[in-house]
Amino acid sequence: MKIVIVGAGEVGFHIASRLALEHKDVVVIDSHPEALKRISENIDVQTISGSGSSPVILEAAGIRDAEIMLAVTDSDEVNLVACLVADTLSPSTKKLVRLRAADFDRYHDAFKANAPHIDTIINPDIEVVRTIERLMSVPGAVDVGEFADGRIKFVGVYLEPGSRLAGVRLSDLPILLKEDRPLIAAVVRDDQLIVPKGNNHLRAADLVYFISEEKNLFKHLSIFDKHATPVKRVLIIGGGRIGYRLAKRLEDKSLSCKIIEKLATQCDFLAERLNRTVVLHGDGSDQSLLVEENIHDTDLVVTLTGDEETNILASLLTKRLGAKKTISRINKFSYFSLMSTIGIEQVVSSRLSAINTILQHIRRGKVLSAISIKGEAGEVMEALALPTSDIVSKPLKKISFPKGSMVAGIIRMETIIIPTGESIIEPDDRIIIFATREAIPGVEKILAVKLEYI
Amino acid sequence: MRWRYILNTIGVLILFFGGTMIVPLAFDLFAMDRSLMPLIKAMGVTVVCGAVMMAVFRHKKTETISQREGMAIVALGWTAISLFGALPFYFSSASFFFVDAFFESVSGFTTTGSSILCNIEGLSQGLLIWRSFIQWLGGMGIIVLSIAILPFLGVGGMQLYKAEVPSPVPDKLRPRIRDTAVILWKVYALFTVAEVVLLMVGGMFFFDALNHAFTTMPTGGFSTKNASVAHFDSVYIDVVITFFMLLAGINFSLHYQLLKGRPLAFWKDPECRFYLAMCLFLTLVVGFDIYRTVYPDVGQALRYAAFQMVSIVTTTGYVTADYEMWPAMSQIIIFLCMFVGASAGSTGGGMKCLRIMLVFKYCYKELFSMIHPRAVTHIKIGGKTVPEDVVRSVLGFLALYMALFALFTVLLAGTGVDFVTALGAVASTIGNIGPGFGMVGPVENFAQVPYWGKWLLAWCMLLGRLEIYTLIILVVPEFWRK
Repeated sequence: MKIVIVGAGEVGFHIASRLALEHKDVVVIDSHPEALKRISENIDVQTISGSGSSPVILEAAGIRDAEIMLAVTDSDEVNLVACLVADTLSPSTKKLVRLRAADFDRYHDAFKANAPHIDTIINPDIEVVRTIERLMSVPGAVDVGEFADGRIKFVGVYLEPGSRLAGVRLSDLPILLKEDRPLIAAVVRDDQLIVPKGNNHLRAADLVYFISEEKNLFKHLSIFDKHATPVKRVLIIGGGRIGYRLAKRLEDKSLSCKIIEKLATQCDFLAERLNRTVVLHGDGSDQSLLVEENIHDTDLVVTLTGDEETNILASLLTKRLGAKKTISRINKFSYFSLMSTIGIEQVVSSRLSAINTILQHIRRGKVLSAISIKGEAGEVMEALALPTSDIVSKPLKKISFPKGSMVAGIIRMETIIIPTGESIIEPDDRIIIFATREAIPGVEKILAVKLEYI
Repeated sequence: MRWRYILNTIGVLILFFGGTMIVPLAFDLFAMDRSLMPLIKAMGVTVVCGAVMMAVFRHKKTETISQREGMAIVALGWTAISLFGALPFYFSSASFFFVDAFFESVSGFTTTGSSILCNIEGLSQGLLIWRSFIQWLGGMGIIVLSIAILPFLGVGGMQLYKAEVPSPVPDKLRPRIRDTAVILWKVYALFTVAEVVLLMVGGMFFFDALNHAFTTMPTGGFSTKNASVAHFDSVYIDVVITFFMLLAGINFSLHYQLLKGRPLAFWKDPECRFYLAMCLFLTLVVGFDIYRTVYPDVGQALRYAAFQMVSIVTTTGYVTADYEMWPAMSQIIIFLCMFVGASAGSTGGGMKCLRIMLVFKYCYKELFSMIHPRAVTHIKIGGKTVPEDVVRSVLGFLALYMALFALFTVLLAGTGVDFVTALGAVASTIGNIGPGFGMVGPVENFAQVPYWGKWLLAWCMLLGRLEIYTLIILVVPEFWRK
């Protein structure tokens, strides 16, 4: 499988490294030699220096036999032109494009139906706002993903010390919790991702990922001692593109929203476009401003400035001043493991969001959605069980899943089944598979293997 | 300032205006009424004066005029036309003093509707139609009409429009000003015809229907009857006139949008919503106030409340009831409504709903910034930010309006009228409404106002109609500096 990536920025870099680990042929195009150097030094991919919108360069990158092209440069214009060129040179190549300008929002479908026939448009800003909204809707969650159009949630929560589940063996869960129990898919302990088995124990301070139907979600959360607290007053620090989008969404939901922005011109922009949101000109780490604006009565502070250190500090400060909950935008994956140590639980990343969206479209077979967890240590995929694939019509224990992967749920029509060794996947079921990074290529193979021969 | 150019334009205006006197003349010819000679005389004087001015100040063709020149043309043009419009009255009878004729003419052109005539019904048909007709002309602004016509004569009009309609947010319907004017004029004419038909259906004679339509659409308020609309005492006619007064008080570009097939145009416009809601709310409040205290019947209370409130808010000035007999609260509401006025871009006067809305929003903004000192807030109308300088100019307008109101009240009181009359007359004339309070109340007229008082009030009307700035700027010395 050959993939051409236009743009060696952060997203391009991470996608390239992920795909390279999965042994795919990746070609990265960028006009900045330094960015390419960083890639070629770290990852086993081919790099081509030049503009991604140039037909010559795209030809050289082998666009004609590429299965997928990703246009993820910082410029929407370059991305669009690259797609147009690719569409002319090789119409069969699947095109994934990052478009960030809000002006394009209403025209996504038009760009899909007409030239340049983009298959998927990714706007990480929209994805981040969605992630924030999901985190807001699930109290106490560190990570929230959605499957089956939101009917099934994939939630990560910290196990508090003293929780009744701390120290319990997984195989004892059915006895402890009776029928209604969440399906525990993965546990992160000391930065290690563990696919739990029946004889594993849960420990305090574990980050537990579980899968739950939407209607049971709050019941399941209360098992982990997380109780619903409605979010009414929100403070956003940083009024850039994401801040603006979030404020707009919150206005639509009639939540009381304030936004702090440092740049006076950006404040004007926000004040002009937002109606009920209070736009404040100032620094998000200015204590007097925060106190003046009743920070102790704020249910949620979202820090979205472009600078992650500011976000971290503002989150810590507002929490100390009495804000009930914070969500911070962090882009550097290397910081993720620090967050729980310094007391920041909820983190969003536009990069991770973009990567998640891109991944689900790159996965072979009928992968419907894919979510990275804990940085990039593992992935949860929702896939359609093809009638011709190897996994259908036999008990799970007979299927040789790669090490580090497990089937976490089977969705059959409207019900979800928590599988045991005896469960059988039927054709056209949707399955939720959890896999560590190393296991992903194997999982992909299982899901799609027979499809290749048709 | 190119005086030749300005005076030439005004000459064209006067000449054209002289031509319109053919309308009352036609009515008089038809009825062979006694005002035939005075009208011919007035028309002759006007046409000759216009032609002479045009000829004397002939100039080479200029394409553009400056904003200052535009303002001078509007202010001087309006005054000049008011002067010539007074001639038919002045020539018609020896009992017409010039100040009275001028007052009546200004009241017509500014669509005010205050009259110095004690016996309106005694006037000839030609003069009656002249009174109504000058209101109709004044309504959309003789200048707007000129913008529709004058470009054919090779006169540029863009700057004129700016001076003519200095409402906070001018709506451009079409890129070319002439097209815009023609469109608005068509809408205006259409409504007038519709009203004539509907009034005749209600049993009015054609002559009365035409006169009332001519004075409803410009929110003027001249009637052919001594008792104003009360003369007809018909619920149907009250309803028709109330409806058309309401329409006339709405921004004409919205009418255009509505006729273009955008049924939600009224609803989407925040000013229109405010205006309609205000009319409804005040009708209910006043209706409640006069129910039992004046009228024993709810229906009657609402009927009279609706007509009077709409008449005052739209600055028309018809009356069907003597509101001075109403409880104090209703009277005070009516007095305050004289300041509010109708929508910007309508034919109504007053400060305009849009300005009032802006001021309310500004006040709220001030309070808001006390609570959130670091907040960045914009004043928005309909989701769009109003630029700072527009807000400032509106605040300036309000201050100027109130200051002039105060000044003219003092001056008018100085001519010897009583307290209530002074307040009522100035509020009514500067807002281009018509009836005031006290000596100039709804069943009285302005005949008893002292000589100098009439001059003062005539200027009030002009000031109000030209949105203060356009006229007052002429007395600022800086305006005349080269």
